[in-house]
Parts: sequence; C-alpha cells; structure tokens
Amino acid sequence: MKIQNISHIVLLALMASCSESFLDVPIQGGATTESDPDLAQKLVTGSYHSLLQGDSWGSGDVHGFAFISVTNIASDDADKGSTPDDQKVPVGDIDDFTLTPTNKFAETLWSGHYNAIGTINQALLALSTASIDNRTKKQLMAEVKFLRGYLYFNLVRMFGDVPLILRVPRDQKDANSDPAFQTRMSKLIVYDTIAADLQYAADNLPLRSAYPMGHANKGAAQSLLAKVYMYRGNWQRVYELTQEVIQSGQYRLVDDYSWLWRQKGDNCAESIFEVQTGSYNNANLGVNLYTVCQGVRVGGLGGWNDLGWGFCNPSADLINAYEQGDKRKEATIIFIDNSGTHKGTVLWDGFRIPSKDSVQNLYYNYKAYTSATKEEFAEPNDKDRPKNIKILRFADVLLMNAEAAYHVGGDVSTPLNMVRNRAGLPDAAPTLENIWKERRIELAMEHDRFWDLVRQGRAAQVLNAVGKNFVQGTHELLPIPNSQIQLSGGKLTQNNGYN
Amino acid sequence: MQGQKHTQLPLKYLPPFLLLLIVATTSFGQTMVKGTVKASDTGESLPGVNIIVKGTSRGTVTDLDGKYQIDIGPSDKTLLFSFVGYTDQEVEVNGKSIIDVVLQVKSTALDEIVVVGYGVQRRKDITGANIQVKGTELSKQPVLTATQALQGKVSGVQIISSGNPGTSPQIRIRGTGTMLGGTHVLYVVDGVLTDDIANVNSADIVDMNILKDASSSAIYGSRGANGVIIITTKKGANTEGDLNINYNSNLGFRQAANLVDMANAAEYKNYYQAATGTAITGPTADTDWYRTILRNALEQNHNLSISGGSEKTKYYFSGSYLYDQGIVLHNTFKRLTLRSNLDFKLSDYISTGIQSSFANAINENGFNNLDIDENGNIGSAFNDAYRAAPIIAPRVGDKYGNVSAFNGQVGNPLLDIENNKVKVAANRLQGGGFLDIKPFPFISFHSNIGVDLAFRQSRQYNYKFLNDETTFDIAGGNQLNSASNLANKNVINFKWVWDNYFTLSKQFGKHDLKLMVGTTAEKFQENWIYGTRKDVPADPNLWYLYNGSASSSKNDGKGDIWTRNSYMSRLNYNFDDRYLLTATVRRDGSSRFPKKNRWGTFPSIGLAWNVTKERFMQGQNLFKILRLRTSWGVVGNDQISTDAFTTTVIPNLAYPFSGSVSGATNGSQINQIKDPNIKWESTSEYDFGLEFGVLENQLSGEINYYNKEVDNALINVNIPSTVGDADHVILTNATSIQNTGIELMLSWKKSISKGMSYSVGANITLNENKVVGLNGGEPIWGGNIGAAQGFTTLTDNNHPIGSFYVLKVLGVFQTDEEVLNYKSSGGSVIQPTAKAGEFRYWDKNDDGKIDDSDRYFAGSYQPKAYLGINGTVNYYQWDFSIDIYGNLGNDVYNGKRAVRINGKDNIEKELVYNRWNGSQNPSQSQPRANTGNLLASDYFIESGTFFRINNLTVGYTLPELLSRKLRVSSLRFYLTSQNLFTFKKYSGFTAELPGNPLNSGIELSTYPTTRTVALGVNLNF
Repeated sequence: MKIQNISHIVLLALMASCSESFLDVPIQGGATTESDPDLAQKLVTGSYHSLLQGDSWGSGDVHGFAFISVTNIASDDADKGSTPDDQKVPVGDIDDFTLTPTNKFAETLWSGHYNAIGTINQALLALSTASIDNRTKKQLMAEVKFLRGYLYFNLVRMFGDVPLILRVPRDQKDANSDPAFQTRMSKLIVYDTIAADLQYAADNLPLRSAYPMGHANKGAAQSLLAKVYMYRGNWQRVYELTQEVIQSGQYRLVDDYSWLWRQKGDNCAESIFEVQTGSYNNANLGVNLYTVCQGVRVGGLGGWNDLGWGFCNPSADLINAYEQGDKRKEATIIFIDNSGTHKGTVLWDGFRIPSKDSVQNLYYNYKAYTSATKEEFAEPNDKDRPKNIKILRFADVLLMNAEAAYHVGGDVSTPLNMVRNRAGLPDAAPTLENIWKERRIELAMEHDRFWDLVRQGRAAQVLNAVGKNFVQGTHELLPIPNSQIQLSGGKLTQNNGYN
Repeated sequence: MQGQKHTQLPLKYLPPFLLLLIVATTSFGQTMVKGTVKASDTGESLPGVNIIVKGTSRGTVTDLDGKYQIDIGPSDKTLLFSFVGYTDQEVEVNGKSIIDVVLQVKSTALDEIVVVGYGVQRRKDITGANIQVKGTELSKQPVLTATQALQGKVSGVQIISSGNPGTSPQIRIRGTGTMLGGTHVLYVVDGVLTDDIANVNSADIVDMNILKDASSSAIYGSRGANGVIIITTKKGANTEGDLNINYNSNLGFRQAANLVDMANAAEYKNYYQAATGTAITGPTADTDWYRTILRNALEQNHNLSISGGSEKTKYYFSGSYLYDQGIVLHNTFKRLTLRSNLDFKLSDYISTGIQSSFANAINENGFNNLDIDENGNIGSAFNDAYRAAPIIAPRVGDKYGNVSAFNGQVGNPLLDIENNKVKVAANRLQGGGFLDIKPFPFISFHSNIGVDLAFRQSRQYNYKFLNDETTFDIAGGNQLNSASNLANKNVINFKWVWDNYFTLSKQFGKHDLKLMVGTTAEKFQENWIYGTRKDVPADPNLWYLYNGSASSSKNDGKGDIWTRNSYMSRLNYNFDDRYLLTATVRRDGSSRFPKKNRWGTFPSIGLAWNVTKERFMQGQNLFKILRLRTSWGVVGNDQISTDAFTTTVIPNLAYPFSGSVSGATNGSQINQIKDPNIKWESTSEYDFGLEFGVLENQLSGEINYYNKEVDNALINVNIPSTVGDADHVILTNATSIQNTGIELMLSWKKSISKGMSYSVGANITLNENKVVGLNGGEPIWGGNIGAAQGFTTLTDNNHPIGSFYVLKVLGVFQTDEEVLNYKSSGGSVIQPTAKAGEFRYWDKNDDGKIDDSDRYFAGSYQPKAYLGINGTVNYYQWDFSIDIYGNLGNDVYNGKRAVRINGKDNIEKELVYNRWNGSQNPSQSQPRANTGNLLASDYFIESGTFFRINNLTVGYTLPELLSRKLRVSSLRFYLTSQNLFTFKKYSGFTAELPGNPLNSGIELSTYPTTRTVALGVNLNF
C-alpha cells in the first residue's frame, strides 16, 4: 500500500467525525409543541385529566384523600376512621384541627390545584394560536375556563387569598421575577376572576343536550356560578341562575337516591358536573386512592380480603341527624353488623361484609363503594376501583334555589320539598334551618358540608359542639404550606393563627 | 494462561475448522531476521523496542510480546536495538536469521507497558495516578465480574458488591461525585466504551487499568468524572505455529453468609402478648421463614481457551460457561461467553486485528434491589420473610400456609417466590476492529471501530391464585392474584464508537517527546417495546401474549438516540528520565446538551520527578524507586437523560368523558419547566503522589493525596408549586461536592529461595465527602422507606451526600412519671402520649413537641476508610493466597426493622430478649415490646464497619515430572472460598449496600451476601 493511499484513508477517517450536524439529534419520542398539530385539543383533555390528581403525599391532590380529608373528615359528617394511629398525621390533625403549616395534605392540595391551573394555562396558550375554527376554539377555551374557575373556587375556600396565576411563565426566571406567582391576591379579586371565567363558560357553552357528555356545559357553568355567588351572598344572582338551570329542562331528580353512586347513575339526568372516571389502555383510570382509602377495612379476627383502608367514617352525629324513614340514610352509610349474630352486612350487589369481629370500624361511606361483580371495570380486581365524583347535581341546585328564594322572597317550598319527597320524607316548613339541614343530609359525604358551615358562619358553633378544636378566625382556612412560604422567600404570607 | 508454562503442540494438531478461521498472510522481503528482545532485569520480553538497521532509516519495533522481524538487504551488517531506560545494543547480523537480544537495564525502572486512553505508555512515563491489576489476580475468584474481584485490591476504588446473581457491583472511584448524574464508572473494553462488563469473562482479561486521577482520565473528557477502567482482553502470542490450550474450571456451593435470627413461635407469642396485652391463640407451626426460602446453591464455572500464532497471525479463542444457582429458591443465573481475538501483521508498517465477543446471560427469578440493571423482581419475598409470623406453616400438605389471613398485610414468602416467574435473557455482541499504520518510525496512525449490540428480553409471568381453599390451608387474607398476567419487554441497544488518532514520537538527545492527536465519534440508539396481557394459561409453553386475553392488552415503547463527538490530544515529554510531563486536552461535544452548552473542554497536566535518576542519588542504594508526581485536570459527567433541557409534552393523560364503561379520550399535558441552560457536571481534581521502592524493591509503595471538587453538580431544585411544574423541581447545575482523600499502598515481596516466596500487600483509602455549596438549592430529602418513617436521609451543606437525618433517641422512659416530667424549657410536656418503655426523643428546637424539625445528622453510609490486605505464599508445589477487605466508619440504616408496621409482624430474636421490660430489664436503648410504627431515629442506625476475608485460595501444582507423564504442560488443583468470614457489628445481613447516592446504606429487602466454597482445576496443554 502506498503512503498516499494511507493518508487518504486517514484524512477521510478524521473528516468523518467532524460534522456539527452529527450532534443535532432530536429528542426521541417526546413531542414538542411544534411537532403535534392536534396538541391544543389534547391539552384541553389533559386539563380535565388534572382533576384526577390524588397523589396526596406527593406531587398533588385535587380530588383524592387530601380533598376527602379537608371536606368530609374536617366536617361533622365524618371521622378520620381506620386504626387510631393510621395517618394521625396528617389526617388526624385535619379532623381535630391540630394541623400545622407542614401538614402534607394542605401542601398537596395547594400544589395539585396549581398543577391543574398550570396545565389549563398551557392549554389556553396553545388554543390562542391553534388553527381551529373560532366557534370550537371558544368552546374549548370556555371548557378549560370552567375548570380554572372551579379550581380557584376550591382554592379560595381552602386558603383564602391565593396567588392568581392566569398565564404560563416563560421559564423559571420569569416565574421568579413576576410577583403574581408568589404573592397572595385578595380573595375578592380571585372571586371576580372566578366569576368572569364561569360567565365566559356560561356564555360560550351549549346546553347539556347539545354538547358531548362529560364535558363542561352551560348548565354546569351556571350552576357553579350560582354556587360561587351563594358564597359571596349575592342571592339575587343565585336565584336567577338556579331558576335558569331549573327551567332549562335539562335536569331532573332521579327516583332512587341510592343509584346516584353506582355506575348506572353516572351522568344521569340529575348529574350536572362530575369528575369522570373509567379506563384507559385497559387499565383503571380514576382519582388515585379515592375509593380504596374509604373502603371497609379488616380488623379484629381478620380472615377476609378487605376493601380498603377504612378512612372517612360517617359520624354518629350525622347518623343521628337523619329523620325517621329517610331513604338516604341506608344509601349513604354502610352499617357494620355489631349485633353479635354474625350475619354481616350484605351490600346492594350481594357482597357480604363480615361482622364487627373482623372489621375495623362501625360505619363506612357507601357513596365511595364500588362493586367488583356488578359494575364494569378494566381491572375489577384492583381495590382502588374508579368512581365518578359528583361535583354538582340537580338536588344541590334545588337547595341553592330554595335558599336564594328564602332571601329574595321566592318559592322556597317547591324545591325544598322536591328533595325531601324523593327521600320519602314529608314536606317541611320553608325555614333557613330546614334548608341548611336538608343540604347536610342530601349532600352528606359529598365534600360540601365543611365549606357550607363556614359559609353559614356557624362552623365554630357546630364543630365545637361535636368536640372539635375548631378555632374561629383560624380554622376556616388551611395553613399556607410552609415549604411554599420558604420557596417564595417570605413573599407568601401565612394565614391567621398558623404562625 | 499468563504466568504458566505451556508445552507447544505442532500446528498439525489444529482442528481444521480453526484453520479456516486463521487468515494466512504472506511475507515480504528476501532475507528476514527475527527474534525476541528481553529485559535483563525481569527476564520478560520487551515491547516497543526500536530496531534500526544501522546506517539506514529502516527499522521496526517489537510487538507486545517483544518479538520483531526485519528484512535485511545484503549490505546491512548491524542492527541497533534501543529502548528508553535500557542501554543501546548493537548486534552484527553475520547471516543469522534469528537474533534474540537481552537489553541491559540502565537502572531499575517501571518499564511495564500500560494501556492508557488512546495509546500505550511505559509505567514509568505515567505522571497520573493509575493502577494496573493483572487478569490472573481477578479470574481466580469465583465471582461474575472482574470488577467484583477488584474489591480490596486497589486503593481509591470502592467496590460495593451484592450477593444477587447476575448483578454488577457498584464502583466509586475516589468518593461520590454526583447526586443525580449517572454514577457509572466508564469501562473501556478494547476501545469500546461501556458502563457494564457483566458480559466479559474475567478469564479473558489480560489486565485492568484504573485511571483514578483527572490527569489520567481527562483524556476521556465528559465521560471521565466517575473514573475510568480500561480492560484489555487476551491476544495470541507468537508460538511459532504451536497451540496453547488452557482449561480452567471450578465447582462449588454457595450459602447465605449471615442470617438474621428471627423469633421462633414461642418467642413470637411472648413478644406479641407483651406488646398488645392479648395472647395469640391460633396456628401452632414453628417456621423459620428465611430458611424456608433460602438454600445451599451450586456454582460452576468453566473456561476453555485456545491461542497461538505465528509471526503474521495471532489468535485467541475462548469459551466460558458460568452457572450460579442463587441462594434463594428458583433463582438462577447462567452465562455463556465466546470470544475471538485475531491479530494480523499485514506488512512491516500495517497491522490490523479484530476482537469479537458474544455473551448470553439468563437470569431467572432474580431480585432487583439495585438500580443498575433490570433483573426482574419476584415480589417482596425478603420483606415478607422478615415480617411473616413464625406460627404459620409454609405449607400444609399441598397447600400454602395463609400468612396474610393471620397478619393482614404480609404474604407467604414461599408463595411470593413460587407464583411469580421472571426471566431476563440478555444477548450481547461486543467487539471491534483496528488498523495500525506506521509509515515512519516516528509516526503511527491508529483507527479503531468498536460496536456494542445488546438485546435484552424480559418476561414476567404471575400465576393466578385465589385466597381460597384451593391455594391455602384456610381461606381468606389478601394475598391473591385473581388473573394471571404475562409481561414482555424487549430492549435493543446499539452503539458504535470510532477512534482515529496519530501518535508522533521523537527523541532529541535527552529529550523524549510523544504527541497524540485524534478524534472520536460515538452514537447510541435504544428502542424498547413492552406488552402485557392477562389470563395467559399456566403452561410455560403458552407464555406468549398471543395466548392472553386481547381485551386486557397494554403496551408501550420508546427509544433514545444520542451522539458524541470529541477531539483529543496528549503530549508526553520526558527529559532524561528525570522530569516528566503529560498534558492532555479533550474537547467534547454531546447531543445531550443544548446547543450553546454542547461543547466542553477538559484539560489536564501531570508532572513527575524521578528522584532516583538524579546525580545526587547515584551513590545511594536504599531507594530503587523514588518518584514524586502531581497532577491537575478537569473531567465531566454527562450522564443525564436526553430530554433534560427541552420542554416536552406528556402524552396519554387521558380523560374518560363518557363515563365508566367506555374508554377515555387521549390527552396531553405540558407540566414540566426545564432549565434550557443545563450543562454537564465538571470535576476539577488535584493529585499529589509519592512512589517508592526500597530494599531492592522488596518493599514498594505509593501514597496519594487527592482533592476533587464538582462545581456545577446537577441537582433538583425545588420551585414554587404555583409555577405549574408537576413535580415541583427543576433539574439544574446548582451544587458543589467535594471529595478529599489519602490513599496508601504498600507491598512487600520476598523470594527466600527457588520455589519459596511470599508477598504481603496492604492498601487503605481515607475519603471525606461533603456537599459544599447548595447554590440556591434546597437540601434534598432521600431514603424514603415509607411506613411511619418517610424520608431518612438529607443532603445538605457540609455533610456527606445522603447523610442520615433522623430523630435522636435520648433514652427510654422508665416510668409514666418520667414522661410527664420530660418538658421543654417552655414547660410543655414534650411527649404527652408516650408510655413507660417508649423512646425519649431529643426536642432539638425546644418547642415542646417532636417533629421533623428535631432531626439531626446522625451519620453516613460513606465509609471514612476502606482497606484491603492481600497475601501470597508459594512453597514449592503449593500456593496460598488471601484477600481481606474492610470498611471503616460507615453507618447502616436498619430499614427492615423500620418497616415493621404491624403488631403481628415477626420480631428479631435479639429484640425479644433485649427489650425494655420494666424493672426486669430497665434498658435505655431498646424500647418495650411494641407493634412497630416507630419514628425514624438513630435507634435504627448501626455501625457498618466490617472486615471480610474476601478470598482464600490454596493450590497445588503437579510436579513437572508427573505432569509430563500425563502429557500436560501444567496441572493445578485449588480450593477457593469467597467471603469465607465477615467480622461485623451490624445486626443485619450485610453492611455492604448498593444504592444511588441519595439512598444508599439502607437495608430493606437486601439479597443476603453469599459465601462460596469451590474446588477448581487449571489445566494447560
């Protein structure tokens, strides 16, 4: 071989590895905003997905165990349940109002809601530039604004003043320099934004019958807006909006109350907005831990494959609040057989729960029960089977309408008694006390009671009466998570009484 | 083969098929002179000796075996042999065709040839801290990888091994220098860059060169930060056509080296009653669950190699089979390797070669307690064996004892193992080809292409079984699998690397210069696919997705591609063998980083002074070697995921709009904020070293000091939740980590008479690791072990990475009165709900309650020192060797005790007897009988200091007279034992616990360390 030939080979070899484009390797499998034209639409669906967050000890919670804790367990409707030691921190602290700014569930509720708001803001950003027809675009924007309004409504009810984030930060530096990301906005302004988002949704979304199932629609937006005004004490608007929903002809009470929490009650005529669950990729898709954390727990002698962890037990106070003959009692509460006859408890699908000897607690939430045999699931053997969560239903609207009518001078009795009669109860007098009581029983274990008590201004009175350490002026709100105050460099302030 | 005698069989005995594999070469020239050059001091052949025909510019150099050949014209009279460190020698040709030369050493020196990055160097020319370990020292141990055999052999190299068959040990060179970047050491196997050498048969290894300091490893630039180990596999030698055959085999058994004694049935019942106040009236078995799932396991290893060659062609073929049964029932590992290394000398100035290897490894029912590789996981058997009540029988007739029906939480460990089948089959082709061109004596060009193709197929099958009376002796409990499940995952990796470089060397008087310049490019591609279905029948012949229910299908798949491109150069300058300088620069480009940070430059410089070469040292006889060296360099770590800096869309975040029964609509989220300015971690390191050899080099040693600082280590920085990042952290370069240490190695070798010699070696490394600058980063929690404890480690400034951060136990409350008297300075009772016999914790912040803010830094898994002691004795036909390894000053978190969260869980025997028991045993260190759920505290931290006899071998070689009668060249029998005995304080299985930097040293469900005793034979023809 000649020297020249060799040097040719050598030069070739050296050249071959010198090109800069050799290092321009696109990321494999990770779509970017440029590479997927359908992205805006998918981001809207992804925004709904964020309602399913239930990572209560981790990245964030919207409707999971933390949500159950601060709504049901904190109220007089339910006790922590399970074994006395299990989740004493953070759930026991929420139940007893001994919670501190490091409470993990308060922290994940904060982060879960802001995670969801972040994905919604990303969707709105993508929608603003997406090449889709104007009508569809407005409807999609209206849907995610509905979700954003709902999430902020939860946030102000949990934390009071909160940072109001309505845009996507360009990067971390942008988020650090814009004070909006780390300072609390007056809840009055937050409420105005909620109302604006929901009004946009009500104006741009079709009625339920004219829009695909499961999506936010006009009735949902109006009902939620009515609820927001109820918390603001604007009874005139509550009355108008609930009247409009009632008269829309889209909704009615279903005959059997107990059906509402079975699969056949999903998206039924009474349903206005619910968190949808089901399956994806042949796997269950629902709110992580929602059913398993409330499932009947083995105890005592054991010996059976139990249903869950046994949290969120209906309280004796709730049980005592039911009137004689109220059909809703047996539909809301699983009563464990403590008679000594060892008959056990047979549930609607035929499943038999052993008697108290083998069960941890006496009462469980029937509204969180799923049937492995009579309902359809992608993975029926998974204990944490998905369950739809009713956020708004027609009975709630009727009771809001009754309460508004009480204040503005309308017909209280018709809506109030519609709810009572369905439960097998006779008419009741149109008093505020009766309306409030009806709200408690009708919406028991449905995440309404605690905030309702705060709204009614009698949380301290009611909760102290059942022996809770509720302190007026503090425990209406959760503590702002300590970690977030630290990360903000002190720009976030703590709620009263938690310092 | 090395160090052993061979008789050479004539080539005619070569089987025909081997002949086919050997490419015949033609020779050039008219008269040819050939021969071997050896060194006077060692008697071994000398590679790289310059041979010039005197009065011409024609010449050659000796090959790695010291052999040469040169064409001689009729007018050529004299050959000149020269080699640095040796006296030049002239030899008259006088018509001879074979000229063997012994070069006289100028003085004793380290003239061994050492493979360095992109070239070779003589040991004495090296200015950095790097150490060579011979393959013969590694392959004699009955372990899977050469890395594991390296444990205790070399200072500065910490090897953390596991008893889990088929897993590679973790290796940390000079401390932990990263938190989140990859921690893999870089292996270079015959030029192929890899982070795993489980496919390499230790018997094929000539030597391993460990590049410890930045001056040595900076030539690998962005890959060098975790240290580099260069592995050279065996090549054929010029046997003049004869054949060498070596057969080496061992057969032995393994068992768990240390077990934890659990309470027996009576002790368990006693403890339970003490803890709960209720007596157990129930099952009456007495089971030792560890003994139920463990066994004495078989181990065997066979190696066969055939090598040889001629002037032009050299070959080395080998095959090996390793079978490792695993001490847990049904756990096996099998590996077959094949290798073919061929070298051809095409002409005087062109040579080429091909190395190729194939490995097939099958791991069945392994445990994945390492994050290094995917070995499958057969459930929670270890954890269950620790917790399962001893009063339940493993089996009752043909049914399982129902552990979970009794306990409620833990399953039957035997059923865990028997009802899950995991098989991982890995096939790997690795090799390369090179071309060496040396047109002139002072210049050479080297081109090397390496390829690495790996297929890994995993299959997991979970049997269907219900919690009824067909499976268990009694129905009930929650251990069940109501539908069988089959999961398959196939991964294909392909990587190539192409190195091209020139080496120029020139001598001017006392100045010796060597320059290397070159480029390298690398590309990696990965593709994986995963699928699973339920309701696949139990017959293993039907374990294909095809037989499962299609309506339960799940699948997924993804891939990765990255590239690197680099330029490197190295200058060696040697003045009179007294002053030496090595300078390297590497410029690295990586596709894993954003364009503006893509390129990094990694320089290094090393200086050495051979004091013994100075005139003023000439009169002395004490020091044969005295050498000072120092170096500085920068190396990088680019092991981050490919998409670490680009915002991507997360797909498949679906929403089931139409309710429960039907499927969901696909959705996506953008929920990650990324740092677009991310760059690689770079480590700058200083190194000072002293090497010496005294008493005729019988005593030699080395002492090193190093200081490594990682300035922009990658860390997840917490960001406010309001920003819209789902995990609330952003990966960015925001911390500094420092490792400083001292390494000491000493070796004493003595030859008493012919046939009688011994040697003793010892090495120790003291390393201090600390985080020195969390630049804006929050301290990082790690070691989450769940249960009531949560996180157990914290990484913060001025503490080692992953330090244990827990509550401090001050003592045990002896009476309820003591509880009420334990108050903060504010007067509040600190532990109002505590009872006598429970722990009294330190209220660090004196706020009257015990919470996470009372935790303190309670120790670290990182050893303050680790050491090795090695000894050999040769007494005529007998040989004996011992290797001892130890760790000092490290702590272990006894995590398995911490996850005892149920009153019906079993308890360690020791704790039954040592527990606080009122006035009978007023312990201040052990709590009363309890039902678990203890808080994370220093009660769980134990000393991890241990010393272990890693290997003990006794061999007997047949006398030559006898072996000749048997027509073999040599025959040796040996008895070897791995991990024969461990001296440790720790109460658990092992203090040697691999894990990632933030979560190491926590014993949860660890594969027990094994002890091996094996009998072996080594046969040479």
